[in-house]
Amino acid sequence: MLLVKYGLILLIFKLFPLCCNGDRIKHRMYIDINASTSCFRRLNATHQVGCSSKRAGATGVAHFCEVENDLTFILKNGNAGPYIPILPVSLWSKKILQTLEKSSKVSGLLLYMNNETLVSFSHDLQCPNENYGVENTCSKTDDLKWNSGGTGILFENIRFPVFYIDKHDDIKTVRDCFNKFNNYSYDTQRDRSLCSVQLNSFMFGAKNTPTCIRRSNIATNLNPVRVCDPLGDKNVWASLFPLATYDEKTDKIKPILGQKYIVVAARTDTASFFDRTSGADSPITGLVTLLAVAKLLKQMLPKNENYNTNVLFILFNGETFDYIGSQRVLYDMQNGNFPIETQNGTAEIFPVIKPSDISLFIELSQLSRGDGRVFAHLYKVDSKNTNFTERLRTNMAASISLQKSEGTLPPSSVQTFLKKYENLSTIILTNHLRAFSNKFYNSIFDNSTNINYEYLNIGPSSIQQHLSDVANTISKSIFEEITGQTYTAQNQKVSELVDELLHCYLENPNCKIFQAVGKQPQQQQNRPFNLYVGVDGNTNKATTLLGFVLGWFVGDIVGESNENCTNISKNYAFRFYNMSVSMNDLNNTMCFRMVMNFTEAVSPAFIIKDYDWSSNLYSSWSESTWGEINMRLFLKPSTSHESMTMAVGCLSLLFSSILVYFIKSRSHILFTPESIQPSPVDC
Amino acid sequence: MDLNKMNNDKKLNLCKFYFTAGFALLPLVWAINAIWFFKEAFRKPEYEEQKQIRTYVIYSAIGAGIWAVILITWIVIFQLSREEWGEFADRISFIIPLGD
Repeated sequence: MLLVKYGLILLIFKLFPLCCNGDRIKHRMYIDINASTSCFRRLNATHQVGCSSKRAGATGVAHFCEVENDLTFILKNGNAGPYIPILPVSLWSKKILQTLEKSSKVSGLLLYMNNETLVSFSHDLQCPNENYGVENTCSKTDDLKWNSGGTGILFENIRFPVFYIDKHDDIKTVRDCFNKFNNYSYDTQRDRSLCSVQLNSFMFGAKNTPTCIRRSNIATNLNPVRVCDPLGDKNVWASLFPLATYDEKTDKIKPILGQKYIVVAARTDTASFFDRTSGADSPITGLVTLLAVAKLLKQMLPKNENYNTNVLFILFNGETFDYIGSQRVLYDMQNGNFPIETQNGTAEIFPVIKPSDISLFIELSQLSRGDGRVFAHLYKVDSKNTNFTERLRTNMAASISLQKSEGTLPPSSVQTFLKKYENLSTIILTNHLRAFSNKFYNSIFDNSTNINYEYLNIGPSSIQQHLSDVANTISKSIFEEITGQTYTAQNQKVSELVDELLHCYLENPNCKIFQAVGKQPQQQQNRPFNLYVGVDGNTNKATTLLGFVLGWFVGDIVGESNENCTNISKNYAFRFYNMSVSMNDLNNTMCFRMVMNFTEAVSPAFIIKDYDWSSNLYSSWSESTWGEINMRLFLKPSTSHESMTMAVGCLSLLFSSILVYFIKSRSHILFTPESIQPSPVDC
Repeated sequence: MDLNKMNNDKKLNLCKFYFTAGFALLPLVWAINAIWFFKEAFRKPEYEEQKQIRTYVIYSAIGAGIWAVILITWIVIFQLSREEWGEFADRISFIIPLGD
């Protein structure tokens, strides 16, 4: 008996390494696709948009489609549903979405990257941020639709999960699985095992922002879970000249009051249907031009020679979602909390900047080269912006023609300000007159190809040269505006700088400029930065770096690079950092002094006490939280096979119960009763 | 506790105790009382205390029944209109289901 027992144990141990290699059954059943990104849920004051799977995930039979007909075929003829169609991302349109929503055979959707040449691909609205801008600046009926190719899918509530894969290996895995098991004799699909997909992207938040914020904060909840977070990040601002004077002897900081400000602004964020962004034309062209303007102006105007005007560079974040950043900056300005928070609006370190202190607001919007034209949109025409446009026209490089457009107002951060202060003098510089020339606005295809960018290839008609010309024009005009004199010196060459900046944002974040400011990403990150605004409390690395690059451009060298630079100074009027002298001389570092800081880019709706969500005054976007997002492939047996397994399981349960019953009822025959030895009693 | 091993006097006391305890908003105690003593009240040959036990059993059953009706009605109403009630429903919930 003992021999048999040990024999069995030995046998099991012998067999174990041969058959299983210590793999878990889970790993043998499923193929995980790790590099997938999902569409997730966002909420505003009234709606939920985006996608969510059921709690246990969505499963369906894979159907790989190359063209639209493949999809139509399976929706009509498929008999083994539900299906998860796998479509090339270029097919993703409103029409397809409606077809899929209507079909009862679809339980999810997987999109894969294909390099097809597309005419247009934008999932933002045709009138972006319409309800939070100035009224009647965009109309869906006539030709004034800014994003005319926009499908609006980004703001649709989709009933099934949607995933995206862009790695060739992953696409191949899925396609091979489909070809091997599914892609033949569709009539008999029901009767055989099929390659299937499971998509898991269950979203915790639901309904709308007020609901999910309330649910996250209910104290009586036994299972408190934060179900959504406000969208938000940081705005970046910097000033050309110091905002305060610092007396070293008395260690006193005195704000410089009574100045006017020329605001040069751009946005920093984009979005896309998935957790991947590109954003070449919007926002990268605009923000790179702004950075180049900052660099140029610092060279032209190194010191404030008693000018009454300062230049304020502001980079707004979260503008894609109803102007989060600019709304917050304006709100802070109105409450005396810009550029820094104050007690009762009294200036202590910096002057309190109010909207009325802005003499001119220049916004740099999408600026890719297109047909070589730059448009200056003047919504309300006044002497200030007309004069400035004239300066721009005079200073513009020969290769670019500047055209003035009066009364038009493209979607821009300026809208937030104009909505409250209609007499603000504004200019928006962009590359389109009516509809965007960028047909890939807020999508993954707004990439370097879209703006014809090639690293280290600075030709006369390249995007680098174009942006550097535009930056030169703007800086010269601002120089003239501030000094009242004509700028006579030669054009500064910044095309190399622009080239490197575009490289940083579009191709490689481990670039020279990000290294120069000494805050480059620690881990080797090969993918360009994601410029989606993200959620409050989680500052995007790209935003931090942007701040340092801007500060580097407008900063002054105040001494040798050493520990004293950043550690000892208690001078709050400036920030001090050790940074490289130039991007071509990374190892030579000096101590830089700059006037740059970050402000919260979270909608005022989330900080106003008892805010009335129905008022629609401020952006109300929040992002749902989730437990996990993953995708895997597995082989789903046919229905008959599944029923068979179930039946066998039930029968074996039944038989074993009967067996146990009989063994128990006849136990006295089967087993010899153990004679119980009375335990010795110690007397 | 095995009712078979108890004397009738004790059975009555126990049944009465369960019946009174049910008034402390404990419908399950009534339900248990009704089921547990059902045999005693209706199936066993007559004995002195049986009549009283029977009354308690019947009242416990009625009480538990009313409770069941009230609870089921409330649960159905609440589940059907939880989303519609919005804030009120969240405030009276101990556990809020995720994602809807």
